[in-house]
Amino acid sequence: MDIIKRHNVTISGSGEQVMVFVHGFGCDQRMWRLVAPAFEDQYRVVLLDLVGAGRSDLSAYDPARYASLEAHAQDVVQVLEALDAREVILVGHSVSAMIGALATIAAPERFAALVMVAPSPYYLNEAGYSGGFEPADIDELLAAMDTNYLGWSGEMAPVIMGHNDRPELAGELYQSFCATDPRIARHFARATFLSDHRADMARVPTPTLVLQVTHDALVPVAVGAFLQHQLPESQLVLLDTFGHCPHLSAPHPTTDAIRHYLRQRQL
Amino acid sequence: MSRPPDHFRPPLDLRLTQENLEDLYDNAPCGYCSCLPDGTLVKINRTLLEWLGYELTTLVARKCFQELLTVGGRLHYETHFVPLLLLRNQAREISYLLRRANGTRLPVLLNATLVRDTNGQPLVVRITLFDITERRKYEDELLRARGQAERQGEDLARANDQLTRQNEELTRINADLDNFVYTASHDLRQPINNMAGIFAELKRTTPFPDPEADGMVRMFEDSLSQIMATITGLTEVVQLQRQAVPTEQEEEVVALLPVVEEVVSALRPQLEELKGAFLLDLGAVPTLPISRLSLHSLLYNLLSNSLKYAQAGRPPQVRISAHLENGAPVLTVHDNGRGMDLERHGRELFQLFRRFHPEVPGTGLGLYLVNRLVCQAGGHVEVASTVGEGTSFRICLPR
Repeated sequence: MDIIKRHNVTISGSGEQVMVFVHGFGCDQRMWRLVAPAFEDQYRVVLLDLVGAGRSDLSAYDPARYASLEAHAQDVVQVLEALDAREVILVGHSVSAMIGALATIAAPERFAALVMVAPSPYYLNEAGYSGGFEPADIDELLAAMDTNYLGWSGEMAPVIMGHNDRPELAGELYQSFCATDPRIARHFARATFLSDHRADMARVPTPTLVLQVTHDALVPVAVGAFLQHQLPESQLVLLDTFGHCPHLSAPHPTTDAIRHYLRQRQL
Repeated sequence: MSRPPDHFRPPLDLRLTQENLEDLYDNAPCGYCSCLPDGTLVKINRTLLEWLGYELTTLVARKCFQELLTVGGRLHYETHFVPLLLLRNQAREISYLLRRANGTRLPVLLNATLVRDTNGQPLVVRITLFDITERRKYEDELLRARGQAERQGEDLARANDQLTRQNEELTRINADLDNFVYTASHDLRQPINNMAGIFAELKRTTPFPDPEADGMVRMFEDSLSQIMATITGLTEVVQLQRQAVPTEQEEEVVALLPVVEEVVSALRPQLEELKGAFLLDLGAVPTLPISRLSLHSLLYNLLSNSLKYAQAGRPPQVRISAHLENGAPVLTVHDNGRGMDLERHGRELFQLFRRFHPEVPGTGLGLYLVNRLVCQAGGHVEVASTVGEGTSFRICLPR
C-alpha cells in the first residue's frame, strides 16, 4: 500500500516548510484539531495516523515489527521522504515525542526542530529516576483497556477504517472515535509505557522544545528537568494546565509556546 | 399483558409531580457528580458518597475525580476519556474501578458530558456512574475466557509451526535417503559386475579338483545373483518413487484393465509352470487415480508374490478384482497361497528388507515398494491372511 494512504496522511496550509504533527497513545491525528490549524497560515501542515491507530492501514500492524518505537520512527521518516520534506518541524505528543526523537536520530538531515508535547522517555520508577509508575500500574491500565474494549465489535472496523459501505453505522461513529482494534491498542500500550529511551536523548541532533504540563498525571515534573539536561540543545517550557493533553486542555498556550519557539529560532 | 382500560387506572398521586429536585439528585439510583475541567470535584450526590464511604467535605474542592480511580484507570482516563470529552463533549459507557475510602474497589460504568461557557470554553463536566458489580464479574469471566482462547490459539499455532518444520525436515531426510540408496546401489553395481566377470573367467580358466567345489561355485553364483537382484530392486524403488511423485496440476488416472493384462502376460510362464490361474473381475472400476508406472510395479510385485508364495501342491488361484467403496476405488489381489501369520509379522510387513519366507528367494523390497507407491497416490494398503489358506491385499485409493 502507498505510504501516504497507509498513514492516512492529510496535508493543509499554505506554507512551504513542513510541520508534521504526530499523535500519542490513545487517539489519532484528530487530537491536533485545536492546535494544528493555527499553523496553516505559515506552514505546510502534515497530519498522520501511526500504523494501528485511527484510519491507518490496520492490516499493516505487524506486532513483531511494532514491538519497539523505532518502527514508528522509520514510518514517520518514510512519510517525510515520500513528501520530499526537508527542514521539517516535528511536533510529537507523549509517546510520539520519543518517536519524533528517534526519527531525528535516524534522519537528522530532514529536521529543523523537534517539539515534544508532554514527553516522557521512561514511565517506570527506578533507583535515581522517578518515571511515575510501577509495573503493576501498567498491568492495571491494560486491564482497564480490556474492560473498555468489550464494546468493540468487528462490524466497527470498516467504519473506523473509513471505507464504510454501511451508512446505518455512521451514527455509531461516536463510539469508534479514538477506538482501535483492542489487540493493537494493548500492544501499543506496552510499547509506549514499557520502553526506555532515556539513553537516546543525548543523541538527539535537532534543537528541541520540551513542553511540559505542570499537572500531568502521567509525567512527574522532574522528568522535564531530566529531559532538558539530557537533550543536547533544548528549551523547557512549563504549561500551567492539567492533564496529559495540553493541546486539548490548553490549546492556546500550547500554540503560543510553539509559535514563540519557532519564531525565536527563525523557522 | 394488555393495557387496562383507562377507567381502571388509579388516580395520579399528586405528590409525585412535586418531587423535590434535590432529593431526585441526591438519592438518584445512580452516582452523579460534577467537576471542573481539570477534574476538581464540585458537586457529588449522596448515592455516590455512600458508595465511596466519603464525607462530602473531604471531596468537594479537595479531590479530583480521577483520584477516585485506580492508577491504571487514571492512565486510561488521561489518554482516552479526556480526549473524548474535550473533542466530542461527551464520553459514554466507560468502565472503571472506583477506590472506596476503605480501600475496596467498586466497578462502575460512567457517562459524562462537558458543558461549555458562552465562549465555548470548558466549564463543567457532569458524570453519572452506575454500579456494575455483578455485570463486571461476568465480564471478567468473558475476558478470562478470551485470554485463555487466545493463549490456546497461540499454542496451536506454535505446535503447527513445529509440525510444519518437522514435516519439511522429514521430507528432506526422505529425499536424502532416496539419493543415498540410489547412489549406493549405483556404486555397488560396478564392483559386483566386476566380481561376476572375474568369477566367470576364473571358472573358465581354472579347474577345481576338490569334489566339494561344484557345490561351492553354485552357492557363490546364487549369492551373486541375489545381491544383483537386491541392487536392481533398490534402484527400481528409487526410480519409481521419483517418477511416481504426482505433479500438482494434473492428477494421473490410468486405465486398469490394460495394465493388469500386461502384468499377467509377463507372468504367464511362471503361471503355466504352476498350472495356476488369474481370475479378473475389473468391470466396476475402469480407471484408477495412480500413475501407470506405479500401478504396473505394484501389480507386478503382488502377482509375482502370489505365485512365488503358492502353497506347495496347490495350483495358485489368484483373483484380481476392483470395486467402489463409498465412491472410492479398491483393488483387491486375493490368492490361495501359503499365507502369513499377521499377528507375528503384520507390523513389519511393509518394512524394507523384511522377509518372512526365507526358503523362497527374494529381496525384501516388493511389499515395501507396493506400500510406498500406494501412499504416494494418497491411498493405503490393507492385508488379511490365514496361514495355509491364502492372502488378500486391498489397495484402497482416494476418490
